[in-house]
Amino acid sequence: MTSPQIPIVISGYVRSPFTLAHKGDLAHTRPDDIAAQVIRGLIRQSHTDPALIEDLIMGCAFPEGEQGFNVARLVGFLADLPLKVAGVTVNRFCGSSMQAIHMAAGAMQMGAGEAYICAGVESMSRIPMTGFNPMPHPQLAEDMPGSYMGMGETAENVAKKYKISRADQDAFALTSQTKAAQAQSEGRLAQEIVSIQTADGVVESDGCIRPETTAEALAGLKPAFDQNGTVTAGTASPLTDGASATLVTTEAFAERQGLKPLAYVRSFAVSGCQPEIMGIGPVRSSQKALERAGIGIEDLDVIELNEAFAAQSLASIRDLKLNPELINIDGGAIALGHPLGATGARITGKAAEILHRQGGKWALATQCIGGGQGIATVLEGVS
Amino acid sequence: MSILENTPPIERVCVVGAGVMGASIAAHLANAGVQVVLLDVIEGAAASAIQKMLKTQPAPFMHPKFAKRITPGTMDDLSSIDDCDWIIEAIIERLDVKHQLYAQITPHMKPGAVLSSNTSTLPLKSLMEGLSPEHRPYFMITHFFNPPRYMRLLETVISEHTDPDAANRIIEFCDHRLGKSIVPCHDTPGFIANRIGTFWLHCAVTEAVKQGIDVEVADAVLSRPCGVPKTGVFGLLDLVGLDLMPHILDSFSTALDLNDAFHSLGPAPELLNKMIDDGYTGRKGKGGFYRLNILEDGTKVKEVINLTTGEYAPAKRPSPDAAKAAKKSGLKETLRHKSAEGQYAWSVMSQTLRYAASLASEISDDVDAVDRAMRLGYNWRWGPFQLLDKIGTGWFARKLKSKNMNVPELITQASGRKFYKVRSGVMSILGYDGTYSHIHRPKGVISLEDIKRQKAPLAHNISASVWDIGDGIACLEFHSKMNSFNPFVLSMINWSHGELPRRGFKGLVIYNDGTNFSVGANIAMLLITSKLRLWTVIRWILRYGQNTFGKMQSGPFPVVGAPHGMALGGGCEILLHCNAIEAHAETYTGLIEAGVGIVPGWGGCKELLRRWTLSKKRPGGPMPPVMKAFESIAMAQVSKSAFEAKDMLVLRPRDGVVMNRDRLLAQAKKRALEMSKDYHPHEPIEMHLPGPSGKTALSLAVKDFLNKGVATPHDGTIATQLAWVLSGGETDHLSTVSEQGVLKLERDAIITLAKTPETRARVAHMLKTGKPLRN
Repeated sequence: MTSPQIPIVISGYVRSPFTLAHKGDLAHTRPDDIAAQVIRGLIRQSHTDPALIEDLIMGCAFPEGEQGFNVARLVGFLADLPLKVAGVTVNRFCGSSMQAIHMAAGAMQMGAGEAYICAGVESMSRIPMTGFNPMPHPQLAEDMPGSYMGMGETAENVAKKYKISRADQDAFALTSQTKAAQAQSEGRLAQEIVSIQTADGVVESDGCIRPETTAEALAGLKPAFDQNGTVTAGTASPLTDGASATLVTTEAFAERQGLKPLAYVRSFAVSGCQPEIMGIGPVRSSQKALERAGIGIEDLDVIELNEAFAAQSLASIRDLKLNPELINIDGGAIALGHPLGATGARITGKAAEILHRQGGKWALATQCIGGGQGIATVLEGVS
Repeated sequence: MSILENTPPIERVCVVGAGVMGASIAAHLANAGVQVVLLDVIEGAAASAIQKMLKTQPAPFMHPKFAKRITPGTMDDLSSIDDCDWIIEAIIERLDVKHQLYAQITPHMKPGAVLSSNTSTLPLKSLMEGLSPEHRPYFMITHFFNPPRYMRLLETVISEHTDPDAANRIIEFCDHRLGKSIVPCHDTPGFIANRIGTFWLHCAVTEAVKQGIDVEVADAVLSRPCGVPKTGVFGLLDLVGLDLMPHILDSFSTALDLNDAFHSLGPAPELLNKMIDDGYTGRKGKGGFYRLNILEDGTKVKEVINLTTGEYAPAKRPSPDAAKAAKKSGLKETLRHKSAEGQYAWSVMSQTLRYAASLASEISDDVDAVDRAMRLGYNWRWGPFQLLDKIGTGWFARKLKSKNMNVPELITQASGRKFYKVRSGVMSILGYDGTYSHIHRPKGVISLEDIKRQKAPLAHNISASVWDIGDGIACLEFHSKMNSFNPFVLSMINWSHGELPRRGFKGLVIYNDGTNFSVGANIAMLLITSKLRLWTVIRWILRYGQNTFGKMQSGPFPVVGAPHGMALGGGCEILLHCNAIEAHAETYTGLIEAGVGIVPGWGGCKELLRRWTLSKKRPGGPMPPVMKAFESIAMAQVSKSAFEAKDMLVLRPRDGVVMNRDRLLAQAKKRALEMSKDYHPHEPIEMHLPGPSGKTALSLAVKDFLNKGVATPHDGTIATQLAWVLSGGETDHLSTVSEQGVLKLERDAIITLAKTPETRARVAHMLKTGKPLRN
């Protein structure tokens, strides 16, 4: 076990409502505007003095167009952060904003500041998933087709390789919808959501969840990526618009400022895998992170596993031997949505929040990443 | 009729009644660009009607975004009427209810606002009884036909109390902005089209039952020989809904004098009522006279009812001799055919034509109004009096007499003369007074048909002609089969380019009077030349077309395209090379070459790339223009209106949309004249295209489509070739590709595809069936 010398804590977590791309309530709002309102919400809710923030690290999977330039710096301006607060944009596709947390924690271990905003943003309505100018390397695409493979195809590959049945995928998706709908109706999502002002009014709640989902409806869907496959639109996370933000500080800073930390950041890891089965990425990264935290799977109380697809989630759960009861208890991305750059901060913040809410000891937040990677963070409860 | 200079514009219209007609009238008003208020007595009915219309096919809206122009509401708040220029009542056909509504509405009408009823049966005189004297001058009947977007007929009824300016204001608006052909009607039951149309339908059904004629046979003998759409009578009833017939027949039974010939037809056959009771209400129900039966193995079988037994049996598509006779020798041969089918056709058409002739002066100002109403309201190719001209009024009168049938006075008065004849190059019409007078086109309408009667073409060949349409503007007309492109059409474009400037012409309009502008290139040549491996010939034809279209862009005078109906493939490519377009709103255009296994090869790829490259609305970088053009061509997208063609950039923002088909040529000519004052030819551009990286990106997308099963293997081959053309071949995005460079890539891609058996199979299948092959 390699304990951090300087204890790092998650001192705050908020996000925007997550809404469907193109037809949802945030589709006509610029992503930088959404992110800026989320940052303001984080400052407001955590009662932090923004002048003490070292840097705003913002994850974004397709940092171009309205989320281009150095969007982190621009969002800082829009959110009225003091000019002395820096801003950097980071891209590890779906793991971008979890990577932001890792970078902040690492920097603080080096004594480089005591408080960071680690955020993420993605408007999948306004910036297409391949970006506006996809120009893959022709030779690489031919020699190594997985390098640019569509995510749906990788999910089909995982389903085949790990023998994840259509029925199991449907059941997993239904559970995700049920858990998210229940969390929403019981008010377990309200606290983390910052209302977003748009030209058409205020958006206050999630728009992707489908409480009316039934097993029959899921079973009736056609395959979305392979006519002979098993992955459907119902067992894949929807294209989503949204932003998220966490306040990551040293424990000492939190104490001095009177913040209420949600959890300690105890370890993290990234790993690579075959791009054709990128959905299995969480396995190795989680193993590495748990090993670095000195704990095993059996020690976990809370697990946030990003549901890019039901197939890859189930394959990862099976390989890691995770307890399904502990996973995504407030719903996962299949129901809530997956705005690529914003998901890492959401699931890390959510894991911390559940740990805090339930009083558990250990939490794992992990996700797969396009191109064949995994990323994981281990959190410890604040007693 | 011209737009009255001092008439205030119609900017806001209220439609009361969100039923099918009211809502779709509101949608068409929105198509015309006005703000619409749609009211209904039921809370939420108007909003729900708007949502429903967004999913209806054929679409009531010319663009989904136009739905936002309609504000839904209820009758509880009539304040939204206060600033409306026109209020259209489209509620239940009950006089008491309408009177009650008028009493509610009129206090909210601003001075000068007009109230009209969409009634199809109630007389103007009765409706006006519900109005105060000060509102009567601002009331009229405006009777739309369903569906209002597509049916061009608008029947209007006014009275001696109607303020002429108020009526003209509405008529001008309906003509110019809604694209309607206005037919003024007398205040008689059912006006013109439904009065004759209902008689015709009812007569055809009752005679078929009486004479034991099969449904399919009746439709075959009454459709093509008479110039009626191929749905015939029974197919049309299935389309409009069988359940409407009893209401319409009841309404006429009540409204018409007892001596009206309508009553002699008797009641509707019992079978009709049984079918309605059993849910066979037509296409909207379980089926009608025809139905689509799905067998256990999923096979769809078209079935037809037996009028005697009420049992369904598979349709046979008969071709009776009486119908074939018309093909050889005209309608008269069908009507005099000795067969049972011939006698049936005579009984239906003789009664219908006699009815029309006996009524004409009672219901209309002239017989042309009757003919226009039947052409535009029932899609007849020829109106009753044009049909009478075809069979001859003398022959018809003699035949009636021989059957001991009364001859209408109008037929007797015609005394063998035609109702229409050309005098001094101008079409004249036989009036009710027995004398001929010229047919006057509405002011501002130019008819190519009229021009062609009066002068010889400047040049012509078997596929195209060039006409002088006045003021230094020429008109290029295609008249090949389905207005398809072939070297003869191209040669006439080249002639125009070389010769017209020498003769002092200032501009050229490309227009024709056909049903469709052009369905594309004649692909039979491609099939023959590719089978014979005449690659050099194919390359020559491609280059010839590219050069010809290129001359249109770089020539010394403006070329204005005036499309209408379908403008597909090569028909779309010629539009893309026009300096400007004035399109009829009902223009369905796109580059659909993938359907026959090729990519656009007469500059379509180049021009769409150019337009997206120059578009200020696209994101930056080399890929967005390529992706936009690729999406449009690979998916063979076809616009469902001229407004949608603007989204595709086949029409540019500065190109015009003309709502009234009759005004298309005049508007195109006006545009050519305006452009000729300060004309600058097309400037070729150099494009930064992504090269192999772009092709790779598009190929990845193609692979996804193949995996999903939405693209066939040959779709993939075509799309890959298209990706290569649009990406600029082997270029690098820091270099530039000329328009000529893209044209060469088009030619190379077509040769590559023409060498594949799959492309040849697609072309052959299209030529044989008229449908694309998905191989």
